[in-house]
Amino acid sequence: MSSHDQDPPQDHPEDHARSTSPRQGEGASASPRRISLPIVDEALAATETASGAVREQRKYWRSIAEKEGSPKLAAAALREFPPGASELPEVSRRSFMKLFGGGAAAAGLAACHPSDEQAIPFVRRPEEVTPGNALHFATAYGVEGYGRGLLVESHEGRPTKIEGNPDHHDSLGATIRYEQALLQGLYDNDRAKQLKHKDEPLSWNTFLGQMATLAGRHAADGGAKLRFLTDPTASPLQLELRKRILEKFPKAKFTSYSSIAGDGAADGLRLAYGKYVEARHELTRAAVIVSLDADFLGEGPESVRAMRQFASGRLPGAPMNRLYVVEPALTVTGMSADHRLRLRAGDVAGFALALAAELGRRPGFAQLAGIASGGHGVTAGDPKWISAVASDLIKHRGQSLLMAGRRQSAAVHAVVAALNAALDNVGTTVTYATPLLADPLSGPKALAPLAEEIAAGQVDTLVITAYNPAYTAPADLKFDKLLARVPNTIYCAAYEDETAAVCSYIVPAAHQLESWGDARATDGTISIVQPLIAPLWGGHTDIEILSAFLGEGDLGAYEVLRRSWAAKQATVPGATGEFDQVWEKWVGDGVIVGTETTPEAALTLDGAAIQQGLGALLAAGPKGGGVEIAFVPDYKVLDGRFANSAWLQELPDPVHKITWDNAALLSPAMAKSLGVEVERDNDTFSVLVIEYKDRRVHAPALIAPGHADDSITLALGYGRTGSESVADGVGFNAGLLRGSDAPWFDRGAQVSLATGMHLFGLTQNHWSMENREPAIATSLADFENPRSEARELIEERRAALPTIHEPHDYSKEQYKWGMAIDLGKCTGCSTCIVACQSENNIPTVGRDQVVRGREMQWLRVDRYYSGELEDPEVIVQPLACVHCETAPCEYVCPVNATVHSDEGLNEMVYNRCVGTRYCSNNCPYKVRRFNFLDFTSETPAVRRLGMNPEVTVRSRGVMEKCTYCVQRIERKRIETRVAGRLIEDGELKTACQQSCPAGAIEFGNLNDLKSRVTKAQGDERRYDLLHELGTRPRTAYLARVRNLNPELAKG
Amino acid sequence: MASTATSASTTRDPLEPIPLIEGAQTDESLNTSLLDHVWRSPGKGWWTLFGLALAGLGLLVVGITVTLWKGIGMWGNNIPVGWAFGIINFVWWIGIGHAGTLISAILLLLQQKWRTSINRFSEAMTLFAVICALLFPLIHTGRPWFAAYWLMPYPSVQGIWPQFKSPLVWDVFAVSTYFTISLLFWFLGLIPDLASLRDSSRKPLQKVIYGALALGWRGSGRHWAEYKWAYLLLAGLSTPLVLSVHTIVSFDFAVSILPGWHTTVFPPYFVAGAVFSGFAMVVTWMVPARQFLGLKHVVTMKHLENMNKVILATGLMVGYGYAMEHFIAWYSGSKYEFAEFFEVRQRGPLAPVYWLMMFCNVVVPNIFWWRKARTNLLIMWVAALLVNVGMWCERFTIIATSLHRDFLPSKWELYAPTWVDWSIYIGTIGLFSTLFLLFLKFVPAVAVTEVKELRHELAHQAHGHAEEAHG
Repeated sequence: MSSHDQDPPQDHPEDHARSTSPRQGEGASASPRRISLPIVDEALAATETASGAVREQRKYWRSIAEKEGSPKLAAAALREFPPGASELPEVSRRSFMKLFGGGAAAAGLAACHPSDEQAIPFVRRPEEVTPGNALHFATAYGVEGYGRGLLVESHEGRPTKIEGNPDHHDSLGATIRYEQALLQGLYDNDRAKQLKHKDEPLSWNTFLGQMATLAGRHAADGGAKLRFLTDPTASPLQLELRKRILEKFPKAKFTSYSSIAGDGAADGLRLAYGKYVEARHELTRAAVIVSLDADFLGEGPESVRAMRQFASGRLPGAPMNRLYVVEPALTVTGMSADHRLRLRAGDVAGFALALAAELGRRPGFAQLAGIASGGHGVTAGDPKWISAVASDLIKHRGQSLLMAGRRQSAAVHAVVAALNAALDNVGTTVTYATPLLADPLSGPKALAPLAEEIAAGQVDTLVITAYNPAYTAPADLKFDKLLARVPNTIYCAAYEDETAAVCSYIVPAAHQLESWGDARATDGTISIVQPLIAPLWGGHTDIEILSAFLGEGDLGAYEVLRRSWAAKQATVPGATGEFDQVWEKWVGDGVIVGTETTPEAALTLDGAAIQQGLGALLAAGPKGGGVEIAFVPDYKVLDGRFANSAWLQELPDPVHKITWDNAALLSPAMAKSLGVEVERDNDTFSVLVIEYKDRRVHAPALIAPGHADDSITLALGYGRTGSESVADGVGFNAGLLRGSDAPWFDRGAQVSLATGMHLFGLTQNHWSMENREPAIATSLADFENPRSEARELIEERRAALPTIHEPHDYSKEQYKWGMAIDLGKCTGCSTCIVACQSENNIPTVGRDQVVRGREMQWLRVDRYYSGELEDPEVIVQPLACVHCETAPCEYVCPVNATVHSDEGLNEMVYNRCVGTRYCSNNCPYKVRRFNFLDFTSETPAVRRLGMNPEVTVRSRGVMEKCTYCVQRIERKRIETRVAGRLIEDGELKTACQQSCPAGAIEFGNLNDLKSRVTKAQGDERRYDLLHELGTRPRTAYLARVRNLNPELAKG
Repeated sequence: MASTATSASTTRDPLEPIPLIEGAQTDESLNTSLLDHVWRSPGKGWWTLFGLALAGLGLLVVGITVTLWKGIGMWGNNIPVGWAFGIINFVWWIGIGHAGTLISAILLLLQQKWRTSINRFSEAMTLFAVICALLFPLIHTGRPWFAAYWLMPYPSVQGIWPQFKSPLVWDVFAVSTYFTISLLFWFLGLIPDLASLRDSSRKPLQKVIYGALALGWRGSGRHWAEYKWAYLLLAGLSTPLVLSVHTIVSFDFAVSILPGWHTTVFPPYFVAGAVFSGFAMVVTWMVPARQFLGLKHVVTMKHLENMNKVILATGLMVGYGYAMEHFIAWYSGSKYEFAEFFEVRQRGPLAPVYWLMMFCNVVVPNIFWWRKARTNLLIMWVAALLVNVGMWCERFTIIATSLHRDFLPSKWELYAPTWVDWSIYIGTIGLFSTLFLLFLKFVPAVAVTEVKELRHELAHQAHGHAEEAHG
């Protein structure tokens, strides 16, 4: 990226800011926080000036309450938006005007305030800004404390699409589901909008004044009763603020907390290495990977990069990696496994010890025998399986990698560390570094000491910037009740959620896309987080709230951040010159090159300590009989923080294809023994009562092939009761069963059938491929044998079919668009679906319509099980319109609404469509989507700000489908035509392709013989889906090749 | 003019055990008896039925309003089941219409005497069934306000013609032609009877209306000559329609690539099925109608038996169609076809509809091998009713069952109709009944002139030559 390193043009953004009119303004030049247009921050103006405005606001909401006649709403009359207002938020004329005005004002941000808060676009810095042409800004989004680099597309000052920053260590240009859905969190009508104290509206200045008073009071005793509860963070600025606050209040305490953080890794590695270290994984060098309940492809800050690295080792021809997964419930990682062993979460420790013991019996690994003996005979897993894994690991000594999951205890992590060390993996596939996070421990257990202090009355002021602790805290802490006891609770709230309900001060949080800040990647690389838009409802960042305790006046996050970095400029290697220039480059690039931290070189594993420590650790683990309950962060709503995103709620779960729900996942055998009934089309299941200790929940069962027996997996993040209207009433709160002593899994749950059945909105009700093999998977051995059945199947599906009429010759066209999807790389993570939804303005339809089979996502990821139901092989297959050259949909349309382009696109003419649905009936892939109802006109005005202005919104009664992102093709065509050249390979990406962490999708010009897509389509693994129908699809698939261990291969 | 005594014997064909016209009928008596139900004020029974029919019509109005107001989403359709009740009912109603055309046109050309008493009745059914059918292609679209005219070939400002490769465009031509010809044929046949009504009107308004509709018919020799020609020509025009309409409707399916649709046997099998269901519907209505309208002397057991024979014959053809579908599904070697016919239809979640179809269409008609069944009113009525049900199930099986599980198991979905689907379906039965009851009230249900002509013919055959010789 040469343009990247050039010095940026220094003056024209300001010029532009001064010269453009409000209507034509661009977010490019600046994103000021304070805006003089009255409508956009009505609330702020109201609180700052006349009480009359406040009165008017009250009157307005009181009338809503009266109209609704709901006591709950009446009680919340002062809330700007009532909790659970409606499924699809209604927008009154007033709020429409307000929000529309907000949008108009936001579009004109640049020109109306000569702000010194300067946002800087990424790479393609334009000579001049043209309305209609999007700009990209680099920023970063916090994932469990670390930052992942993003590039955000902005149209006239409105962020409209999220992409990954290709220069960022953890992104490599890709994203994950949640990041694609950030726009929904930004343009969300349900967000907290009003700063208030005990339901009284408050201005920011008054708030700062009150904080100053509070700070003064706490300063007297050194902050002995002052506590801070934050999300886990590695942000340098956060760390600095912490330090400065602790200097001022030496007795104050910070607690990092996230309900989905695991503490086993930190403790386990401390046991192994004598101090806290963080493991970093390098999968490209791993030939054998063993996951012990580690969903490293599905979740966590490293997952996006891990997918890219893992996928790079899945190509036959080059040395392939081999993945063994031991886990209770199928995960994204488990679906990608070559060999998978289902074990209860609590038995994974036994497996780790058994593996250590097995290796200990092999020559050269005697030290492991000693460590394993510390487990006192705790063992689990099939010995044959373990022996095969051990042999494979020895064979690939120094090129293997073992990983333990976040749920697993310190014992498992310590044993895994010992295994990695004994196998000489340290330094190649895994390295250890000084922790970047502020607190090494930040899981549910970390919350207990704070809870004790609150219970003992030792906390007067609690500042909460962590996500919704009242909801996410383990149930036994009764944290919501404790919070109510703290005299001053200051909550930086994205929504008026469960925690906001029990806190005294509610500070509406600025969205990440509205905030200044900084973040670190997992390798330590620093990113400056810049806002894409001024806070829509006057939110504030946690930096501002923390700064309020420093008594330095109201600087604003931007100034705090900039001053901090101005002071630290010298610490950044190579950052010489004037700070303004350096800063501009940092912010514009999205990464500060050279700020990564190096792993520790000289670490020695303390085997004896592990051996001694294991006993106590294992004793604290789950014991005894009864059903195991295990919790997982949800693939869609994580810990609940994304629960108000309809895109994510409607996204089919990558494994189980559930929308708008969570479920009690259990094995087919267990379902049978419990008497779970299945009705309708495999989508209606019995409801269970799960009792654990003194807690109980009702949870609908869902039979999950491949699940360990006697174990139930429950996803967190559902059953929300805050003011988030989308999340309201979705799923059940599994967290109600969670205890702080065993936050991830425990035995002893009582499970029985409750009355009633539950109907799930599943997008795929059939597990089997019905002997049709739409998704081909084969073993490496079979693939290398040209006469194997699998190879014959592939050959059969790529050969030319006889035809009675000469097909059109596209080779003379300038472009011949095509796609190749590599099933060997795809993990099923489903990021592409959300990316497509965001790019193409695809509506969500709600649970009821999903049940009826009317979901609108253009792209779906099919998941098939084969083999035994208890222990299935899994394969996933992304499928959107394949753009058949002889498309069955086209000739049946009576009005010519779907036609073929010269370049081979199967095009939909929405305006011409009358909605006979004949095209969908005749589509063998069933990838067309129909607007059965009006799914778009009720979209709240504020949500529309985030829509892609280059894609038409479809009306009721119209068919739609994947267009190969034709708007991106046309955009590039215009650019390259102006430049007088052809579109080059790689400069044009579809939304799904761009978002794909694994790099499984290639798209481009098939007439360019050197293009990546042409090469991919020429691969030996290439086949066409439903080839026998003669549709000549432009999207080809590459069969998945499993790298099976011959010792374990069946037959 | 034959005496009463001779006509009693002359209307009896010595070779036929059951006569086509019963009793000693004269032109006068036929006129009186066949026009009676028009002049008589409607009884309680008629009003009850009419009330029920109007209630059904109300359901139709509600269903269509909801559909237009909210969208097709109010129906049970989904992806993959893009077509369901709308098209099922369309094909079902079109099929029902086929008896009328067959009876009026083909049997006329074949000079089948037994058609005369039932042709008017079944032609009216054709007309009303086609009206019901025509509703569906329009309201089933996502944007009927455009579909109403965008399928027509006219030079539009959009610069696009309809897609002539699409069977839906062929449907527009086929069905609209069918409706037009059926209407003309029915009306032409009605003219002499309208004149009779005009002549026997007792109130001035009736005289004016029937007079206007009779188009100045005076019964002159020239009128009769031209009338006969026109009637014959229209019969000739209608004859190919009997075969073409359902052939083209079957192309909606046969032209696609969907397993269960992509079948070459569809055109003949659809035509047979249409005649099958059409005759069943005529029997369903004729059995009670001849009772209540006092038509037993002209619609005799002979007519009913003949119709039952047609039901038996076409039922066997339909059975053969099913057998061929299943055979080809196996013989083609296509795993999708095989799965569709031997797994999805027979064992899938919608299998009960398939088995009901098999019972009603393949098993039930075989009862008509027995003369006793062919001539028993109750048995034939129940059997005809079951055939109607079976033919509806056939369309359901072809359309919804094929769609709900096609090529890729990942996008298999269940289909279930909603209350709106049922409202519209029942509503069209209401519409049909309303129109039919009005028809029975205002127009002679039997073609009076043709029956009179037949009586003469029969009389002529038996004794005419002798009388002529002596006269």
